[in-house]
Amino acid sequence: MHKYYFFFQRFLKTIFYSESRFTASMHVEALQVLLQGLCGGRQEKLKIHEICLKSGTNLGVEASEVHLLCSLSQTDPVWTVRHVGGPMRGAGAEQLPAHVRSVLESSISSNALRFFYALGYKMDYELVRIGYVFQFQRVVPITVTATMLCKVPKLHAIDEAIPVTPGIQLVELTAPASTENYSEAVGAISSFAEHLAPLIHLSKPGVPTGVVPTASTAAASLVSRGAMKVS
Amino acid sequence: MSSPGTTCKLCYWQPSGGTTVSSQVLVDLIKSIESMNGVRSGRWQVTASQHRPIRRDQAVQVECARELLGVAFSEAPNKYYFVLRPDHMVVEADSTIQSIMENLQVYRNHLTVVFEGFQYQLGDFHVKAGRAVIAHSENLRGIVLEVEYLPVSSLGKTHQLMQEFVDIWQEVAAQSMTGRIVHLEPNFGDYSLSDQYSWQHTALQYISLMVHFLSQRTN
Repeated sequence: MHKYYFFFQRFLKTIFYSESRFTASMHVEALQVLLQGLCGGRQEKLKIHEICLKSGTNLGVEASEVHLLCSLSQTDPVWTVRHVGGPMRGAGAEQLPAHVRSVLESSISSNALRFFYALGYKMDYELVRIGYVFQFQRVVPITVTATMLCKVPKLHAIDEAIPVTPGIQLVELTAPASTENYSEAVGAISSFAEHLAPLIHLSKPGVPTGVVPTASTAAASLVSRGAMKVS
Repeated sequence: MSSPGTTCKLCYWQPSGGTTVSSQVLVDLIKSIESMNGVRSGRWQVTASQHRPIRRDQAVQVECARELLGVAFSEAPNKYYFVLRPDHMVVEADSTIQSIMENLQVYRNHLTVVFEGFQYQLGDFHVKAGRAVIAHSENLRGIVLEVEYLPVSSLGKTHQLMQEFVDIWQEVAAQSMTGRIVHLEPNFGDYSLSDQYSWQHTALQYISLMVHFLSQRTN
């Protein structure tokens, strides 16, 4: 059975387009404070080496793509293979405020890369995602990630990874859903996105929403409140 | 294999020259287990599949493994195992990997062999006896026997003990049957599998047995 995920994402790049790196860092910190407040502090660090593989010429019914994710935030690396289907189409899907995609994941032993090479897959690109993840339990479990994307200058040289857009992070909201509970999942994720609205507007990938006018004020307020709690 | 601290030895029944394997052999082997005071503890099933690559253009060669072998165990329903023999590789994944492979549509199921039978308990040993058939047919390919020793997971430490158990079983079976129990041990080291026994070892043993049974078919 396929799992469906409602997928909200946008680059903070749009928001921070004309901001300095310091200001961008403050926005990132503010988002962290806000999310911590919403979920009760269950924040986890995230460091993932992501490898995108493409099927070799003439292999398979049609060209295909698969992602290998190696989580580096634990003592021992944990490997996952992920297949992401295309976004759901149709008039109903267009109306939804998030992409709906079939996403299948499986944990896999550490020889995963050698395995897919042997099956005829070739590396398309690799990157490192560094950031943090929050889990929220609403009507459906919601995962929020804020990550910085880093390019890998040499093959598998993940320790030398360089941020593609320094000080800018990608914020993604995902939630599992089935064909039966669409409306519940949409409602839960949309209302959750409203909590972040003073800082960031979330939209489907590729749909620009512009800068949030209140972002700088909200960020300054959140960061100072966060600092007060720490002290 | 029911728990992590175990070792497992996979065998098959080789009838004496001139005779063929039949369902009666399985009945007789089960009687031999019961005569050793084995207590039936349930059924089991292992599914081993052979997959072949899909080429869009049959005239053009593809750089890929010619054969992908997969194993699923009824005792470990959340896991799935792949074996690539030329590459000496065993891969462990969740059972959802099967849906991922179906979505990718790069390998197609060519043949499936189902191993199924009964499990017995004899003290610290679990013994399984079952038949191997081509899926969706009653085409008997062989009789499979599995001996599992529960308390220890080191292959080196249990090697002799397991062999002694098989020898005793062989003697009991020989009282009413003609043939012998043959162990088909793959070289675990070639596949980078350690002395500590795991489901990956079991997967490799079943794949080796499937390949053996299928090769007998073509002879």
